[in-house]
Amino acid sequence: MPTDNKRVRGPEVSQSPSLFCSRPAGVLSSPGPRADGRQRDQVDVRPVFVRCGLVSQAKGSAYIEAGNTKVLCCVYGPRETERKDETDMKSGRLTTDMRFAPFSCPERGSWIQGSQEKDFSLMLQESLQPAVCLHRYPRSQVEVNVVVLENSGSVLAHAVTCASMALADAGIEMYDLVLGCSLRQDGGSFVVDPTYPEENSRRPSGGGGEKRGGLTVAFLPSLNQVSGLQSDGEMAEETLTAGIRTCIEGCYKLYPVIQQALIKAVRRAAPPPAES
Amino acid sequence: MTSFACDKHRFHLESGVMEVSPSTVSLIREFGCEQTLLSRPDGSASFVQGDTSVMAGVYGPAEVKVSKEIYDRATLEVLVHPKVGLPGVRERSQEQCLRETCEASLLLSLHPRSSLTLILQVLHDDGSLLSCCLNAACMALMDAGLSMGRLFCGVTCAISTDGEIITDPTAAQEKESRALMTFAIDSKERRVMMSSTKGSFSVHELQQCIAVSQKASEKIFQFYRDSVRRRYSKNL
Amino acid sequence: MAAGFKTAEPLEYHRSFLKENCRPDGRELSEFRTTTLNIGSISTADGSALVKMGNTTIICGIKAELTNPTADAPGKGYIVPNVDLPPLCSSRFRPGPPGEQAQAASQFIADVIESSDLIKAEDLCVDRGKLCWVLYCDLMCLDYDGNILDACLIALLAALRNTQLPEVGINKETCLPEVDLEKRQKLHIHKHPVGASFCVFDDSILIVDPTDEEENLATAHLTVVTDEDGRLCSVHKPGGTPLSGEKLQECINRATARQREIHKLIDKVLDSVKTTQ
Repeated sequence: MPTDNKRVRGPEVSQSPSLFCSRPAGVLSSPGPRADGRQRDQVDVRPVFVRCGLVSQAKGSAYIEAGNTKVLCCVYGPRETERKDETDMKSGRLTTDMRFAPFSCPERGSWIQGSQEKDFSLMLQESLQPAVCLHRYPRSQVEVNVVVLENSGSVLAHAVTCASMALADAGIEMYDLVLGCSLRQDGGSFVVDPTYPEENSRRPSGGGGEKRGGLTVAFLPSLNQVSGLQSDGEMAEETLTAGIRTCIEGCYKLYPVIQQALIKAVRRAAPPPAES
Repeated sequence: MTSFACDKHRFHLESGVMEVSPSTVSLIREFGCEQTLLSRPDGSASFVQGDTSVMAGVYGPAEVKVSKEIYDRATLEVLVHPKVGLPGVRERSQEQCLRETCEASLLLSLHPRSSLTLILQVLHDDGSLLSCCLNAACMALMDAGLSMGRLFCGVTCAISTDGEIITDPTAAQEKESRALMTFAIDSKERRVMMSSTKGSFSVHELQQCIAVSQKASEKIFQFYRDSVRRRYSKNL
Repeated sequence: MAAGFKTAEPLEYHRSFLKENCRPDGRELSEFRTTTLNIGSISTADGSALVKMGNTTIICGIKAELTNPTADAPGKGYIVPNVDLPPLCSSRFRPGPPGEQAQAASQFIADVIESSDLIKAEDLCVDRGKLCWVLYCDLMCLDYDGNILDACLIALLAALRNTQLPEVGINKETCLPEVDLEKRQKLHIHKHPVGASFCVFDDSILIVDPTDEEENLATAHLTVVTDEDGRLCSVHKPGGTPLSGEKLQECINRATARQREIHKLIDKVLDSVKTTQ
């Protein structure tokens, strides 16, 4: 690996103390109850805390907290596009940049954007693009920057929700909000809005017949359309369709909270005329 | 390597001991400078302080990249190349100090929408590197014939473990010192333009070091004046 | 009207305020913005703090890892501070590797840690010559509205005060380290360096805790870092217009007062965190 001479350098190699832990962390015993007391096989999403317009420098910003997952998103633009070589100048460009803070995961991450962050950036862009009226912004670009301050599972889903709120807060014209929800299939049962240990649990593989996989859905609630779908692992067709339905249900649970937060932000920006 | 305009001279400070205060012995190592020693840059200088040696080259005013253009003044870029290896975070911080010092002395509004580039190559580091860079930079800017509102020079002071102030320390003295400070002093009012410190020290020690540096700067400014005078008297 | 004046003649706009000894945001010349502190909000980090000074927001997360000490300093651990100014915090930063400002800020923080004896590198040694801790102090700007150096230092200090390192022992048979994540110990913080930043307007007027706009218009910047014993840990003035000795003394006095305020604030917030737990 080439040395990074634009940052203060530490030792060549270092290991996380958890590798030397004398007692290995308790293996998740599924199918038991979930560690945070939520129900399995039900649309039991974590309660979210959302707030708009926290960042003064950005055109629009949003912050979402679901359990311990903390995501901040800022939107800049529309401004003049940087890449002039693009042939299609009639519609605007939506650029996304998603990154994890180095301290956001149990293992320290690097400052340099990894492949997972690049994948997430692309998925975020593809999920948001159908909802933004880009033809209204010719020759310009809208930048969406997401930073994950703490990763406690379902990061992509919450990033999608957070980014669409920030876009709305920035006053970018959109057809609809985009809400994200994810699910983890584990054999016959599933968990909605999984936490980090639930996402990464590696149970000693006993039976080979078990189907496990992850699913993230980006959903436009008022148009009732799916704008992004990402799935990994092995799932039967019926399980997948059922999973998507469950995620959509999860998105609808989120919808009123997001709406309330946006209304609050608009009220603050332009208070209604006092009744007299 | 050089043209006929190159004239090499060394300036010896035989009276190294200056009387600032009875407790402080200040000693500036022998220093010298050579200007216009490179033919490609618009101005160049190599400054030697004891065994520390820095070469500086200035390019400009030239065309500027659109992304770096400033509509009402010139864009100054400073690059510091260490003796070995690639420039790192420490060099970037030195570049920032050097750039902002040069920006404050150059009359940049005379060259709007153009670029100035100052490149410093460290030839040998034996302590007081930043002050040597500052001196080389100032000489190179003068050599490039750029209009300046004031000149500046760099002085490094080290406070040894027994509280003694050493000016222009060597690398070994720097290593043993408890605190290290580098100042850029301006030629007009002998005030502090830049300050960069390491180690902890008291307010009194800071003031003492500033006073010593101001005193030492006189010698360097005198040297600037002499070298310019000598050079132009020969050329004419 | 005022908005148009501000856009067309930003310097004149600020001058008209400074003439009256106040600033566009209603502060006096030597007044800091309201500083709020949130400690320990990131559970994935070994220590964390979020600082808000006016709009400027900095988050610091500390991760401790185990490594081998270098041969020339066998009894010392590492502290690796890095400041990141992501494109998220202001429209002036582009994505990609850190720019000059971020790198200079990282170096400044590293210098202050070394100069102030905030933490002794010897405290991070587990087994001399064999095993030591490396503290990755990652500072991220979330909202850039000027004076990030002060905010970074407060965030770093608060996060280090919050850091708890797990207990480590060496297994006699395997010679491998053994970590007990349940038993944790606080770091020993020797000094509390706190910074105060100033801007010089028109070569003479000093203002404290500048906003982004003020930083851009000013002719010089200065950061003074002091500890609780009134010693200076850094007088950082990266160029700009010259400053007289009296003005410098003024800055140092303000910085010492600021140190006391922030030290108290950190203690207070840490106490409240303890009582809620």
